[in-house]
Amino acid sequence: MFDAVETDTKLTLDGVTSGYGPVAIIKDLSLSIRKGEIFALMGKNGMGKTTLLKTILGLVPSREGEIRLDGRSITGAAPKVLIKSGVGYAPQEQPLFTDLSIRDNLRLAVRSDRELDAALEHVFTHFPFLRDRLAQKAGTLSGGEQKMLILSRALMLKPDLILIDEISEGLQPTVIAQIAKALQAERAESGTTILLVEQNLNFALEVADRWAVLKLGEIDDSGIAGPDSRERVLEHLKI
Amino acid sequence: MTLLLDIVTTAAILFIVSAGLLAIFGVLEIVNFAHGAWLTVGAYCAVVTGGLGLNPWLALPLAFVTGAVLGGVTERLIVRPLYARPLDAILATWGLGIVIGQLITLWFGRDVQFTENLLSGTFHMFGTSYSIYRIFALAAAVAIGLGFAFLLEGTRLGLSARAIIMNEALARALGLDTTRVRLVTFMIGTGLTALAGVLLTPLTSVDPTMGVSWLIGSFMLVMVAGSSFGALAVACLVFGGAQVLVSTFISPILGGITVAVLCALVLRISSKGFARV
Repeated sequence: MFDAVETDTKLTLDGVTSGYGPVAIIKDLSLSIRKGEIFALMGKNGMGKTTLLKTILGLVPSREGEIRLDGRSITGAAPKVLIKSGVGYAPQEQPLFTDLSIRDNLRLAVRSDRELDAALEHVFTHFPFLRDRLAQKAGTLSGGEQKMLILSRALMLKPDLILIDEISEGLQPTVIAQIAKALQAERAESGTTILLVEQNLNFALEVADRWAVLKLGEIDDSGIAGPDSRERVLEHLKI
Repeated sequence: MTLLLDIVTTAAILFIVSAGLLAIFGVLEIVNFAHGAWLTVGAYCAVVTGGLGLNPWLALPLAFVTGAVLGGVTERLIVRPLYARPLDAILATWGLGIVIGQLITLWFGRDVQFTENLLSGTFHMFGTSYSIYRIFALAAAVAIGLGFAFLLEGTRLGLSARAIIMNEALARALGLDTTRVRLVTFMIGTGLTALAGVLLTPLTSVDPTMGVSWLIGSFMLVMVAGSSFGALAVACLVFGGAQVLVSTFISPILGGITVAVLCALVLRISSKGFARV
């Protein structure tokens, strides 16, 4: 299932183990994501989904195995190196600088202010409401607007790969639909690869090409998104 | 009128002396107890400039560059490994201050050094005469305050520093070079403190321990101000004003401890001090 041909592969995890202190959260995990693919990684709370994204981004050190981006090893690379290499990240935990303006939150995503206007225009195409509210503090946005800002920041530099952590959590269906539309548009326009960590089954299976379920740091099941996926995934997410 | 000018200019001098410490504490959350030593290094740059017969104003850029370069080396070798251990960082910087003081003593001796005045004379206003240099110190404090405001609000370095103050984990996850921002901030803080040392030379005697007397007051003011330069300006005005009033109407000796005592009282009442200003 996950043995994509290396030239078509955007991201490869090969026997990766990682965690905090002595505890291994991700255990000998292997995964390949193709270029231009939307891949949904699901699982119950505490199964290691966020830790996996942080491991890819270099925020949690990988103890064993190798992580490759476009065939090049990025194991142990610092986040600043990966962001420069075209990786975008939409985190779940404390994801915004709430006391900074929307503009400054977005400005932090670009390397130079010379890139700012073009990058802003790019995200305005997905979320036009941001255009007139750039001076507003990010913390004053509604929950749904904050999520759209988080995604916008990840999209600012038109990354080749976006890591998205539970973006749909707590959102109403109309906002989720806007986010889904933005992700699909980004992939269609730029061929962006998206690794989506999700607990919202409907949203994940609507946008994803393939999926996997993570259980205690290991891939428990995986498949191509289709009519039978929902029942299969649901079986794994039962408490 | 003289009393009012004394209050304002004393506040300005306190602000100049404390600004470098606040820059480092605000972004790095490290209390740089070598602060007094950087003031001393700056003051001795004025001594060196005078000894070489150069224009005394050249001591200002010399001190800033010297402080920044030595600060950069200090951050890299001593402070950087201790960011996760702030108490150890206090001890390490305290020790560094002692070492710097001893090195200065080895080089220049223990004697008080004399420096050429940057500005001398008085000016007359509203029927009173007042030191031109103290008015210059007020202008310097305003310039430093505005400079910091521009740096924080108008530059990418400032934006990165604010992001790191608010949420360093997120800043790092977004690819900000937090190591570089910390290094540059430390260099600016120590450079500015050394520059403050030059500005102190017309007001205080220059000897290897001169910085120690300014350290406690600066430390207390920064604790009250948190990471806000606006709060530092208010704290300097309030406590500097109180120092002048106590010195003038009660006792200069009590005036010398006014800032530290009042800051301690404020922190006892509210642990955030003036940080919301």
